[in-house]
Parts: sequence; structure tokens; C-alpha cells
Amino acid sequence: MEDREVLLKVENLCQYFRMGKHVNRAVDNVSFEIYRGEVFGLVGESGCGKTTTGRSIIKLYDVTSGDVYFKGRRICAGVQRYKDAISAAKKQAKEQINKLNEDSKANPDNKSYNDSKIAEIKQELSETIATNKRLIAECNYDQKHCDKLYAKDLVEKLNKNYENKEKDDEYYHYLKLAKKAKLVTQIQMIFQDPIASLNPRMTVQEIIAEGLIIKGITDKKYIQEKVYEILELVGLVKEHATRYPHEFSGGQRQRIGIARAIIMQPDMIIADEPVSALDVSIQAQVINLLNELREKLGLTILFIAHDLSVVKYFSDRIGVMYYGKLVELASSDELFAHPLHPYTRALLSAIPLPDPIYEKKRVRKIYNPIAEHDYRTDKPSFREISPNHFVYCNDQEEKNYKEQL
Amino acid sequence: MADNILEVKKLKISFRTNNGTVKAIRDISFELKRGETLAIVGESGSGKSVTSKAILGISAGNAIIDSGEILYDGKDLLKLTEEEMCKIRGDKISMIFQDPLSALNPIVKIGPQIIEALILKNKASRKTARKEFNQKLEVLKQNMYESFNSDQKATIDDLIQAYDNFSIKSLEIETDYNQSHAEATEIISKLEDFLFRASKHQSLNVADYAKTFLNNFKKVTNGFLINNYLDRIATSKAALLELSKTDKDNDELTEEQLEKLNELESLLLEITNQEKPDFLSVAFYMYSNKDADLSKNYNHDTKQMLAEYLQTNFLAKFLSFVEKALINSHNKSIILKQEVLSCLDALKQYFKAGNIDKKEAIEKVSIAGDLVLKSIDQLDVFKDSLAYTFKDSIIANVKSYFYSAKSNVKEAERFEKQTAKYEALVSKGKHIDWKVVPAKIVDLNDLVENIISKIERLEANYIKEIENKDDFSSFDSSLALIEYFKKKASEVVYKVTKAIAKEQAIKLMEEVGISEPRLRYKQYPFEFSGGMRQRIVIAIALASNPDVLICDEPTTALDVTIQSQILELINKLKKERNLSVIFITHDLGVVANMADRIAVMYAGKIVEYGTSEEVFYSPAHPYTWALLSSMPDLKTTEKLDAIPGTPPNMIYPPVGDAFAARNKYAMKIDFEEQPPLFKITDTHYAATWLLHPDAPKVEMPKIIKDRIERMKQEGGSEDGR
Repeated sequence: MEDREVLLKVENLCQYFRMGKHVNRAVDNVSFEIYRGEVFGLVGESGCGKTTTGRSIIKLYDVTSGDVYFKGRRICAGVQRYKDAISAAKKQAKEQINKLNEDSKANPDNKSYNDSKIAEIKQELSETIATNKRLIAECNYDQKHCDKLYAKDLVEKLNKNYENKEKDDEYYHYLKLAKKAKLVTQIQMIFQDPIASLNPRMTVQEIIAEGLIIKGITDKKYIQEKVYEILELVGLVKEHATRYPHEFSGGQRQRIGIARAIIMQPDMIIADEPVSALDVSIQAQVINLLNELREKLGLTILFIAHDLSVVKYFSDRIGVMYYGKLVELASSDELFAHPLHPYTRALLSAIPLPDPIYEKKRVRKIYNPIAEHDYRTDKPSFREISPNHFVYCNDQEEKNYKEQL
Repeated sequence: MADNILEVKKLKISFRTNNGTVKAIRDISFELKRGETLAIVGESGSGKSVTSKAILGISAGNAIIDSGEILYDGKDLLKLTEEEMCKIRGDKISMIFQDPLSALNPIVKIGPQIIEALILKNKASRKTARKEFNQKLEVLKQNMYESFNSDQKATIDDLIQAYDNFSIKSLEIETDYNQSHAEATEIISKLEDFLFRASKHQSLNVADYAKTFLNNFKKVTNGFLINNYLDRIATSKAALLELSKTDKDNDELTEEQLEKLNELESLLLEITNQEKPDFLSVAFYMYSNKDADLSKNYNHDTKQMLAEYLQTNFLAKFLSFVEKALINSHNKSIILKQEVLSCLDALKQYFKAGNIDKKEAIEKVSIAGDLVLKSIDQLDVFKDSLAYTFKDSIIANVKSYFYSAKSNVKEAERFEKQTAKYEALVSKGKHIDWKVVPAKIVDLNDLVENIISKIERLEANYIKEIENKDDFSSFDSSLALIEYFKKKASEVVYKVTKAIAKEQAIKLMEEVGISEPRLRYKQYPFEFSGGMRQRIVIAIALASNPDVLICDEPTTALDVTIQSQILELINKLKKERNLSVIFITHDLGVVANMADRIAVMYAGKIVEYGTSEEVFYSPAHPYTWALLSSMPDLKTTEKLDAIPGTPPNMIYPPVGDAFAARNKYAMKIDFEEQPPLFKITDTHYAATWLLHPDAPKVEMPKIIKDRIERMKQEGGSEDGR
């Protein structure tokens, strides 16, 4: 698994929302990697920050802190950590200076020595501030200009290819495309509610083609053909292109949502509860479709859901979230065979199955974080218990978990 | 038939829309047994919610109920007026809605929302309860007259009058007691709050608090509560009065005052924890010895003495009389039923013979209907819905027969005229932009068949009852009857004030698992999480103690952990309160935990019907197979068997089996004719031609077969993983 290409890397991602004085830590210090071609499932109860994570990655929110790397390039960067570092440094320096000042008041003899020390501290502080400010500027630059940088790279590459060749029409065509290329559009999102996420005033054709038009393609014939091709790919027919979203059933609407995402030829799709709002029979259709597309187009999928049996069926690796924190991360078979974190166990014990005898015996475990963990002195972190099986725990728990395996 | 609490018979509902009439429900029948959970499973648009809404009488405005009956408690819910329906809705049958957010009023605190039903229902039900109580008592009296000699008449009159008088009186005293009790508990909770704040040195307005305590204390008036503590109450009141006169700026409590308040609390606790008196015996003693005041010196010994007094002087005699009356009434009804049988038989022959005359038919039917009504055992507490609704429904059926006979002729004429016109225009070579509407001919034989089957159903019931007439236990029924009287009497005197309703609501909130109910009582719905909101909706549904609970996808909007919490809660409440539950969902996994029986619906029809083991372990209908195979479980690795296509457009329902177009196993006949319900076992039915003896043998898909085998092997022994 190590030699596989990391497509998306999330490092210490934090997303806070300010609600008056109170700060809501929707996503708190989440890190994971997604390899090319795999399906990564993210589960948890509602309100635990699954969707926020997905939306932060695709830059629908400005992240508070942490980095997101896509294809090795930083696309999201939060500045809060540097700001925190600056304020912490300032505070520390102030304390030290105050102490020295008091000292020099008490002992006038030391004044000259103290003054030199104070100057040193001030120097140091300004240096720290400068480095952090530089980092902040870098972050802001990356956050804003990652697409431009990507386009620049592409143009350079193209020029290199055409160095010894004649620059014909084809070159200019590609140049135009390369200039307008965007990195972030290679991640596409499928939204939860197929009814709310489609514009009721646009025809299916317009909805699906919108991305292409924004991308800068003006050839109407090409767009038309492309739309038809994609419609067929997702199991709809050409005739549907001129209809409006309300004329479709739930499953078909979700197919339109998927078509809209894959027409951009993305490398990665963030599927935010794509089947939660659908009937059981339609769910199967959509899951089968996603599976097919994944094989055909080589997609990487971040699959967000709360229905564990679907996630188990569909994903290669699964991350479990609880109140903004990633508490467990493992391959799906491993997670279901050896759940370690008590929350994961509680979650697994709540899955209903179509089996009356089993159901009558099923006992739901209750997760009570205050009773389960003692994090007063021994602080927890995200640790690897066995190869590729990570759990959020402290030293004591780590030992226990290792014994359990 | 008393074990069926709710019966739905041949229900057909359609909706009038701009594009045409949508046939949402096409001929479904099922019954709900007392204390069981019936799950209705199906895709959206299969008519699950429409059925449940029809039961509650809250169908959408454009709904047309074409035919059918919903029988509950001797009434046909479809034929009731809105006012009568109001008495049943929420009180007897209540519903938990799908989306907890939109089911709650966002600008009203949740406390008032819970007690709203309690207070509203109370006003409406008191009058009718008095009426029913009197009626039943009158019937009992008549039956007693018949079963005893005329010289006993005076005794009977005395007994009945005494019972009428003191049974209601006893509940009046009890209500008064309860009210005082609730006030006392209210003071305790306020006092606890006050003392808690005082211990944290929060600024308090002592005088104001003392005044409210005093006000509440004045309402604690019931003698049984306070008579033993009069001295201590007087001192406490004096202390409170003193407190209420303290300076407003001074909000610190002195040691002495604190001690007094603590004393008050312990006094109140003692008062509220007293043994509850047996009010029936108290009332009887007060009835037979006028002006006796029992509230002084009432204790455990007096309680026992009074109970014995009641038993020897009244209950023993009364019960023996009641038993005799019950036997009399039962025998009478059996004799009448035998008469009715012959009458019904004649009626059946008449309808079978054909050439029905309108006047004669209606006359005959109404005579038979009257006989049936007369033959009902008036003292039976459980109402046989079929007999009660027989007359009305059969007259309606006969009328609709004649109406259809008339309209058929008209339709045929119209069709002929229109076709002639159309053809004339076509022959002239004109361009025509309209079509001939096909004639709507109702099959009259079907209607007659319907009438006959109704008669036969009643006949079968009666024959069964006559055969089992010796099983009648007068003792059990007399207990049931007394229980019935008690319930009605409590409804007569049961005044719900806001204080009582609040106490009840808080108890209910505790029951559904809301922590700190006193605090939550004053919060708004938006302050709760999804699961908590759903609990509040459940509390509201249970507020007036219904018999039947309809859960319309109660967990679809919730995630897994909350979902299983809510399901456990519903199961627990069902057992505690002996509820009958109709559980509507599209998730088969949820159903396995809840249901005793399952009905699978597709396109407005029930396609499979059986106990939950039967439906999960030996499903018979292709649609059930498809549903089961389209959901992955924890061990599925192969491709899911999705159901291709979408449900049919119900404006033009398919001629044959509605599922045929999406069915891998469809045969030619599936497209031509609707399959009837084939019987597999006594409890298991499925509507598919595959079960016809001539059909080719088809195995269920491999994916489910494997899964079922695996489930059976594990037998739930492992924890499923």
C-alpha cells in the first residue's frame, strides 16, 4: 500500500465556526491520506463534521488551520495556527520583558544587562513574527492562486513539448485550455439532496454543461455530444437532456448530479451522502452506478455516509469521526473485524440487519466519552496500533488496544 | 373477533390531479391485532403513508376514497364526521410523523405542546363519557330485571343507584386529592430550586419566593393529605408569612430561616409520600353513612376496615348480580344470532338469485341490518366492528350498486354518441384533436359479489360464536365490565388542570428518556437535537394514552445510533402500555427488529403479507426478493441486485401485476391479469403468479438464498459480524 500514489493528503485540518463568543470546532485536527483509485469512507453520526470535512477539502469553506494537498500541490491552507503562534510568542516575550523590567527596578545594577536581554528578546520576537507572517502570506497565496500555479505549470510543460516543433493551431488550442485549467475542478462533489442541489429552472442539458462552459469550452456541438455521452454513461437517455429536474424520480435526479460531477473528468469525487435520501431499491442502483464509473474512469472517491452497511460494501478504507475528531481509521474489513475505539463499537452495534432472530438478540452498546476515557493527564493523539490501523487514544489505551489485537 | 383492534377492508383511494386520477391505493385489506406491531414496507409512492393518513382521516384535500372500510371500535372511520373523528384522532389512534422538525411548532415551548392535547381532549371527552356510562348502566339494569324475579327489583334499583353515585363520587375525591398532591409536588420542586440557589449564594428575592410558596400552599386543601399534619402546616405557613414580609433588599438567608425552610421541605415530602387512600371504599362509606368525615385519622387500619366494609356490604352482591345479568344478555344475544343467521341466509339467496329490485332490496337489507344490530350483546365491552357497521355499510353497497347500474347505461350511451360523432367527423376527413373517452363501466357482478362476501363474513363470525357459546366466562366478562365502568367514570370526573397536565407531561418526558424534564419543559424545539426532537414528538403522540400508534418513518431522518435508540424506545413503550403499532418504513433492516408481522406494499397493493420470520427467511414475492437483495449487508461483496426502472405511473396503473415490468421472473400472464393473494401458510400470503400450481418453479436469487442460509446457520449466535 505504501508504494501507491497519494492523491489527496489532509494534514491537521481544522474548521471552526464562530457563533458569537463561542467557537464551534466542527472539524478538529483531522489528518488522512487517500490513495489513487480507492474509495475512502467517512462515517459518523449527524453533526460530527463529515460533510464539513468534504466541503473544506473542495474549498467551499476557508479552512481555519491545516493543509490539504492534492496531487502534491497545496490547495487549502489555514492560517490560524501561525496567528496562534504569533500571539503565543508575543505573550511569552511580554512576560519575560515584564519580569526583567521588575528586576531592573529592584536592582538598578542589573539594568544595563537586563536592557540588553530585552533587546535580544525583542529581536527574537520580531524574527518569529516575520517568519510566521511569511508563512501566512505563503498560505494565503496558495489558497488563492493554486489554480493559477497549476495552469502556469501546464503551460510550461506544453511549451517544453513544443520546443522543437512548429506551433500550429493545435498548440494554441491546448494553450488556451492550459491557461484556463483549474486544479480544484478535478475534485467534484455529489451532494446529499438531489432535489435541492439541482437548479429547478435549468434543463438537464444546461445543468450538466454548466461546468464545461465555465471551463471555457465554446464549441456547442462538442458540449452537446459530451452531455449525451455522459447521460448514457450514468444510465439516462438523450431525450432526458431537454427536461427539467422536477420531471425525474429521486434516483434519476441523483444520476443527474453524478453526471454533472463526472463531465469535468475529475480525478476525485466527494460523494456526500449520495444515497441517504433515496429508497432502498434506488440506493442499490446508484451504488452500482458509482461502482461502475469508478472502474471505467478510475475515480477516487471520498464517500461520506452514515449507513454503515453501505459504507462497508462500497469502501476500501473507512474513517470514523466523532465530534470533529477522527477516532479510528482502518481498512474496511479490518475495522469491522477488530473495532478498537469504543465509539466505533457502539456504532457497529447499532446497525440493523434484515434478520429477525439476530435483531432480537442484538444489544446496542452505548458510548459515553466521559466514562470511557480519562484524558485529564494523559493526552490522546492519533496513533497507529497495527499496520494501517489508526486509533485516537492515549498511552494507556494504546497498550490496551495492542493487547486486544 | 375481539383480538383485532383495527381492520382495513378493501380500501381504495385515489387522488384527483391535473394530469388525471392517481390510483394510490388499490384494494388493500389487513388487520392489526391487539398488542402487535405490523410493519408496512415499500418504496416511496407505494401508498404506505396514504394508508396511514386515511386511518387518521387526514388525507390530502384531493383524495377520493373510492371504497372500503376501516373498522375500529365498532365504527367505520371512513364514514365518521370530522367532529367524531376528532375524538378518535390523537386520543385513541395517534401518529408519530416522519420529520420531527416540521411536526413541532417552532414558536411554542415544548411543554405547552405536550399538554395541549391533554387539555383539549379532556373537555371534549367528559360529556360523551357520562352518556356512555349511563347507557351501559341502563342496559345492565334491564338485564338484571330480566334475570331476577320482580320482588328483587327494589334491590337492583338500590344497587345500581348506589354504584352510579359512589363510583363517580370516589373519583371526584381522588381528583381533588391528585390536584392537591400535584400542588404540593410543585412547591417541593420550587423549594429545591430555591435552596439550591441559596446554597450557591445567588442573589434571591426571598419575599417573592415566600409569597409564591404561600399561594401554592393555599391550594393544598385535600383533607386526606393534610389533616394529620395540621399543626405543623400552621407553623410552616406562619414562618413563610414572616419570610414574605422581610425587607426586599435583604436577600441573604439567616440560619434560622434556612432551618425553617428545610423543615418545610421535609414536611411536604412526608405529606406527598403518604399512602394513597382507597377512594372507592371511602366513597361507599360516605354514601351509606351520610356526613361522615373520614379524612381525620385516616390510616392503614381504617383503609383495611373500609375495604372490608365495601366488600361485605356491596361488592359481593353486586358482582353476583352482574354475572347473572351478563349470562342473561349473552344467552339472549346467542338466540337472536341464530335467528339472524337464517335471515342472512335468505338475504344471500336473494342477492345470488339476481334480478334485484331497488326498493325491495333496500327494505330487506335494512330489516336484516336492524336484526344484526339488535343481536349484538350490549354488555360486551369489546365491540365487534363488523356487526356494528353491517347495516350502514351494506346499505351503502346496495345503493352504490343501483347508482352504478344507472350510470353504466348513461356511460354506454355517451360513449356511443361520442363514437358516432367522432366517426362522422373522421369520414368527412376533418382533423380532430380530441379522443373518445372510453366508457367507465362498473362490473355489477363484482358489486354483488362484494355484498355477498360481506354477508358471508358476518355469517362465519356468528357461526363461530354460536359454536363456542359455552366458552363464555361470566366472571372474566364481569371484571372487564367493571373495568369499563371505572374507565368511563374516570373520564367523567377527570378534570385536567394545567398543574396536573404539567406533572403528567413531565412524567411522560421522563418515560421517553428526556433528561432533566423540568428544565426542558420550558425550551423551544430548536434547542433540541434530532433524536431528542423525535422523542418529544413521541411524547406528544402518547400524551392522551392511545390504543393504536402509527409510526410513519420515524427514523428515516435520523442516523444509525439515534435510530436504534428511538426504535428501542418505541419497543419499550409498546410493551409497557400494550400499544398496537403500525410501523411504516422503507428500510427492511429496521423492520426486522420491530415487527411481528410485515406487509410489503407495491404500487398501492399488498404483495406479500406474513410474520417477520416468514417474510425474511422464506420470501415468496419477486419484489420482496428484489428489496432484500438490493440492500448490502456487512458481508456482501458481489454486485448488488438493483431493481431496474422506476415504479409505474399510477395514473395509468398496469393491467396485470404492477411489478411485472421490473421483474426478472415475469411471465406472460403477469402482464395480462392481476395475481390474487396465494396462501402459503396460515399467516403467509403473496400475490404472485409464481405460486400458481401451473407456474414454473423459480428459485429465489442466489444472493438472498446464501444470506438466509448464513443467517440461519449463525442463528444470531454470533453478534452477526
